[in-house]
Amino acid sequence: MLVCVVIDGVYVPEEGGAPIDHAGELLLRVADGDQTAFAGLYDMLSPRAFGLILRVLVDRSQSEEVLQEVFLEVWQSAARFAPNKGQGRSWVLTIAHRRAVDRVRSAQASTDRDVRAGLRDIGVAYDGVAEEVELRIEGKRVSEALATLSDPQREAITLAYYGGYSQSEIAALVGAPLGTIKTRMRDGLSRLRGEMGVTT
Amino acid sequence: MNEQDFAELAAGHALGSLSPEDTEAFETARRQHPEWEHHVTADAATAALLADAVVDVTPPPGVRAALLAQIAASASSGAQSAPEAALIEQPLPLRSDRRAPDSEQEHGKARRWGPRFWFALAASLALLVGVGWGSVFVSQQLNTPASVIALDQIEAADDAQSATAMLPDGGEVTAHWSESVGKAVLVSDGLPAIADDESFELWFVRGDAAISAGTFAAEDGSATVLLAGAMEPGDVIAVTVEPAGGSPTGQPTSDPIVAITTA
Repeated sequence: MLVCVVIDGVYVPEEGGAPIDHAGELLLRVADGDQTAFAGLYDMLSPRAFGLILRVLVDRSQSEEVLQEVFLEVWQSAARFAPNKGQGRSWVLTIAHRRAVDRVRSAQASTDRDVRAGLRDIGVAYDGVAEEVELRIEGKRVSEALATLSDPQREAITLAYYGGYSQSEIAALVGAPLGTIKTRMRDGLSRLRGEMGVTT
Repeated sequence: MNEQDFAELAAGHALGSLSPEDTEAFETARRQHPEWEHHVTADAATAALLADAVVDVTPPPGVRAALLAQIAASASSGAQSAPEAALIEQPLPLRSDRRAPDSEQEHGKARRWGPRFWFALAASLALLVGVGWGSVFVSQQLNTPASVIALDQIEAADDAQSATAMLPDGGEVTAHWSESVGKAVLVSDGLPAIADDESFELWFVRGDAAISAGTFAAEDGSATVLLAGAMEPGDVIAVTVEPAGGSPTGQPTSDPIVAITTA
């Protein structure tokens, strides 16, 4: 009997073989205007996307709006998804992250943002990640990979991805030159790629 | 730019943390060096894995219901039946009667036809056509507010320029323009709250004359607006608060809340 482990829409057959990109298959059907496939994709990925958006934006009602924008964009531009260039899951989550960050930038003057600014966020960002990832296998993998980074690299990547901060904001927050922050991000991301075995 | 610099930009891009200037440099270099695209792909895939470290949160059922209603409405190409919630990415309303005569171009028309029309049309296009690049590009364009398309065009132009002015209470207004593109876009943050029966109105101040460039509304103090009409070198771009729909006299009735010199 073929036992499958489902990780975010990617079926990993336990008896080996290449993982099946279920989200990607749904996306191809969505590109053809298949509304049932769209509903399936939403059910599969919306909790993760919403968690990510909430993480970046904090504000719940704005996060709901952004989630809606994300899936509208998925519906409208699914034809741009190229299965040979990556998994459907990454494609959707990349859109979710970009839209969340766009919203943070456009709402930069808001009080939310002011509350979130400040050094305490750095600690919270990583500690938060560390406790949350206990919940899932794949999350644990990310946490372990993050743990292999140097503290400054992890700080830069965490603030950028989970905090939605720009490179210049991070430079100001941690008191390092902008060029240094850029280098930390590049080196940190390369390291993560190696640790998590990302192949493209 | 060498490949090292590009790799740095690609990492910042994947993490969503580039400044607008760096984003522009990144996109330009990306077009010029398709052989470096592997950096972009690899970094994007790595960054997306970071989402695994976030707790799943089930969104309220209303979002799902609204989305399914929206796509169903758009798929049946019912141009007038799309629910109100479908108008998430609507272009800002610009009043056609306040438009300068030379602004009757594609974007002007697109705006007056309204977002529901474009939403429905784009969705029908997506259904009708295959996966051809051109059609995808078109449908993408139709779904993007004209101001954002214009901003992309401006930022891609060699003669792109920008100038920023601060509002007294901390807001920020930046004008982006390009002579070769012939468009100007205003990106505002932290605009003051105005009454329901008021609008912001844009002006090109040219010498002693003020020429209306359309009205707009802000969402939480933010707005990205394409100025209607042609900008001329040396124009000052000003924003005033006017009665809803724009100044009834066609001339500003109040002092500008912000003025940006483009010379």
